[in-house]
Amino acid sequence: MDQIVTAHDLRRRFGEGDAAVDALDGVTVSFERGRFSAIMGPSGSGKSTLMHILAGLDRPTSGTVELDGVDITALDDGDLTKLRRDKLGFIFQFFNLIPVLTAEENIVLPLSIAGRKPDEEWVEQLIETVGLGDRRTHRPSELSGGQQQRVAVARALVSRPAVVFADEPTGNLDSTSSGEVLHLLRRSVDEFGQSVVMVTHDPEAASYADRLLILRDGQVVHDCSAGSAEEVIELMKSVA
Amino acid sequence: MTKVAIRGIAQRKLRAFVTVLAILLGVAFIAGSYVLTDTINRSFDDLFDEAYQGTDVAISSSTTGQSDGGDLPPFSERYVNVVRRVPGVNKAAGGIFSLGRFVDAQGEPLSNSFAPEFVSSVAPEPFETLTYTEGRPPRTAQEASIDESTADREDLGIGDTLRIAGQAGVKPYRIVGLQRLGNTSSGGSSTAQLTLPEAQAITDKRGELDGISVQAAPGVSPRVLRQRIDRVLPPRLVVETGTEAAARQAQDIKDDLSFFRVVLLVFGGVALLVGSFLIFNIFSITVAQRIREFGMLRTLGASRRQILGGTVLEALALGLLGAGLGVPAGIGFASALNAIFKSFGIDLPNTGTVIESRTIIVALVVGIFVTLASALVPAVRATRVSPMAALREAELPESRTRGRIFTAFAVLLFAIGIGMTCLGLFGGTDDANAAAGLVGGGAVATLFGVSMFSPRLVRPLASVCGWPLEKLRGLTGRLARENTVRKPGRTAVTAGALMIGLAVVVFVTTFAAGISASVGNAIDRNFQGDLVLQNTDGFSTISPGAGREAARTPGVQTVSSLSFAGGEVGAKDVRVSAVDPRSVADVLSLDWEQGSPETLSSLRNDQTVIDDAWAKNNDIDVGDRIPVRTPLERLVPYTVVGTVKDNADLLGNLVVTEEQLRREFGVRSPSLTFVKLEPGANADAVQDRIKEAVKQRYGTVDTLNQQELKDNQEEQINQLVAFFYVLLALAIVISLLGIVTTLALSIHERTRELGLLRAVGMSRRQVRTLVRYESVITALIGAILGTVLGVIFAALVSRPLADEGFELAYPVGTLIVLLLLAALAGVLAAIWPARRAAKLDVLEALAYE
Repeated sequence: MDQIVTAHDLRRRFGEGDAAVDALDGVTVSFERGRFSAIMGPSGSGKSTLMHILAGLDRPTSGTVELDGVDITALDDGDLTKLRRDKLGFIFQFFNLIPVLTAEENIVLPLSIAGRKPDEEWVEQLIETVGLGDRRTHRPSELSGGQQQRVAVARALVSRPAVVFADEPTGNLDSTSSGEVLHLLRRSVDEFGQSVVMVTHDPEAASYADRLLILRDGQVVHDCSAGSAEEVIELMKSVA
Repeated sequence: MTKVAIRGIAQRKLRAFVTVLAILLGVAFIAGSYVLTDTINRSFDDLFDEAYQGTDVAISSSTTGQSDGGDLPPFSERYVNVVRRVPGVNKAAGGIFSLGRFVDAQGEPLSNSFAPEFVSSVAPEPFETLTYTEGRPPRTAQEASIDESTADREDLGIGDTLRIAGQAGVKPYRIVGLQRLGNTSSGGSSTAQLTLPEAQAITDKRGELDGISVQAAPGVSPRVLRQRIDRVLPPRLVVETGTEAAARQAQDIKDDLSFFRVVLLVFGGVALLVGSFLIFNIFSITVAQRIREFGMLRTLGASRRQILGGTVLEALALGLLGAGLGVPAGIGFASALNAIFKSFGIDLPNTGTVIESRTIIVALVVGIFVTLASALVPAVRATRVSPMAALREAELPESRTRGRIFTAFAVLLFAIGIGMTCLGLFGGTDDANAAAGLVGGGAVATLFGVSMFSPRLVRPLASVCGWPLEKLRGLTGRLARENTVRKPGRTAVTAGALMIGLAVVVFVTTFAAGISASVGNAIDRNFQGDLVLQNTDGFSTISPGAGREAARTPGVQTVSSLSFAGGEVGAKDVRVSAVDPRSVADVLSLDWEQGSPETLSSLRNDQTVIDDAWAKNNDIDVGDRIPVRTPLERLVPYTVVGTVKDNADLLGNLVVTEEQLRREFGVRSPSLTFVKLEPGANADAVQDRIKEAVKQRYGTVDTLNQQELKDNQEEQINQLVAFFYVLLALAIVISLLGIVTTLALSIHERTRELGLLRAVGMSRRQVRTLVRYESVITALIGAILGTVLGVIFAALVSRPLADEGFELAYPVGTLIVLLLLAALAGVLAAIWPARRAAKLDVLEALAYE
């Protein structure tokens, strides 16, 4: 199958000498295009570090990452910035919207930064999909947490990135809002063929994914298709 | 709480550093101003003490009406013999001490400095004040000595030629000695010494003297001798003991300097005011960022008083440090100021730095007070933090009612400020100091009013300033503009600091442009001649011979001069000018209120034409007789036959005939000589011919046509403006420091936001641009406010001068340049914060809490 992100033997060491910690200890993994993958694991398992490295936000101590055919571990900051702009979408736990911009402006932010004209139709479709048609001129402070995160989802999708990385996207939301956001991510995969990689510790969230990856102590300990939330909880208990 | 305060300072190093620096710079300016002026005062004391050593009684010309300096009229040398016959006089000798100019072979001044150059005569012992360090005093008419610092500067030595331009013309001398005045350094002036007859000749004072020095016989006290001498001399001669003469002359200079000190202190005050804005902002931001900490302290049982005390203590410690360091820095600053003066050609004497205890006390008190006052409002706001703030992300409360009262107060303050200014300007206060105080106080109140109101102006102004950036750079410009209006108060104070400095700059610029334009217009209107001769320094007199030389030049139709003198009318100083009635109509055209050009052409020796404004102020009408006390101590009555509007203040208060000025005021040299050419004469050719003839023989005389005269005036005004710019530079630098700090602190607050922008693809360069634009917009807001205020004040202050022909001119070009410079300053101020923002690590910036 077509791989959108491939990591080979990733290692990431923090600190030096006795205090050194291996956050990633030889991770080799790849993610398929057009699928929704979830990464789970207990605190300190290295799941966030893995995502940061896959997304070019952090550099591995050794190993390579190939994203959409490009070895991103060899890129400098300028090229990484371009890569993030053109090929990646991000969703964070704290919605991280720009408070001075309206919902719509936040959505098209990556395009504005790149100096590109947004595809009007696509933006309209996105705004409709995330259900913010009547909120487009509101500022983040005038939106609920769920609405803010839906803006963030639309923002991640607006540039039609090769892959969207979501870091605990429901970590700060109530269950209703969480459901909406996860449903959106699911739809983006199903309807737009988007590739999504999500880090989460919420089994409910993981149950929306096609595939589940479990990390512990910097290593992949389980790789399977995701089941229901109950199955995920059972799996976590047995593995972690 | 003390511990918390001290640790707080240690943790917030940048803020502490900037606060201390702002206070340090302001205090250094104040302390430096005192140190410099004290030092100069002491130096002049020393200088004059030195000069009158060995002189028991000194005789000089009366200084009636001579408050603005210049050469006093000489007196006949026969008085030496009169003095010698007074019982108790052991020795008496006459001397010359006149302004001269040292020139090169082409007649150009050796140095361009404003420092006066003197010609003095060799005095017999014990009156000689100069000490020879090399060579000997001049003995023949061809010899001269010169002070060693001038010799040093101009690379002159024994055997070299020194050309002196005096009233009688230029003459070369062989240098035979180098001297200096006692132990003091140059004293800022240069002195060439000649034999007495030669000094009299070159200064056109044959048979005359500037002063007589007297030594008392043993057992005769100077005071007694002074009284005896005074009885035998006419009233136009002043008789003083040596000590009195030294003290009076030093005092005269001190009086002039006290104005200068006030000017310096005003600029120091501006710097401190700007600093106070900066400190206010730093403390406000700090308090806002420490809300959680304050809330936590409150939950632990800290009282409001303790919270207040903590912040105030922090301010006190920083103020103390800043002021403490500012005093020694002030000594360095005094030397820097001195260097600035030197670069403007004003060489001031220095016989050792003087640090009065007053300097230290004032500097410390002012520095600490300013810091405390600036930190007080933020400190009080800190006490309003509720313990709940510890538990959640909270903003400082800002209720609407308070906002409204605040705005009303700002408007009121603005109104009071403008009101005070107008009262000072139009209130008819006779006391110039009170009026100046009202105008100054009004200006400060206005500035405060505007800066308190300005948070409401930030949004519209930011839209204006940000518009081109948004058009040009899209999102980056948009975000930059939005960021500036996020905390309008913060932006307003940051911009306010720049506003103050710029308001003063614009005021000075606009006012100077007005003066230039008015002078230019006056020259156009009044100046009928084609050429004018004046001293190269622009204000000293020129030799009458220069005019005669010009009159002999082919192509010249008329030569007519304007001379100036001082006098007193009813114990008040007046300025008197003199014309030659026969030829004045050819060269001057006046704006007549009563009378006509014929009035002046037929002016008799007992008549005068007076300035209309002065006439009205003193209730003088045509037909009145005004008694004028002249420098020769004569009371001469003149009948007023006409009044003129003297727009350029060219003529002073009264105009009399040239003959009167010579006879009754003792002034023989004109200040301006106008030349009218024959019809059809080639103006350039004639000008060149006169230039050559005059320069060779008389030196230090410029031959200017109308345009050159205007340029010349403008250049002098511009030099003064440049001097003010230099003094204002510090205030501007402090306000830029404010932009740097505020940006850095704001960026710190927005770390996560920047992280996000970077994560979604903003390049480092774009981040830098973003910060830079924010800085530029802030700077422009300050610049626009400052420009508007500066222009308003220039317009206000010039109103009362309109009667005297002052025409306000708006230097639009210069103002635009100033705005561009402000934007550029914004770019500079953003360099460091922008770099910091761009360097942010994306992951760390995004780090969750």
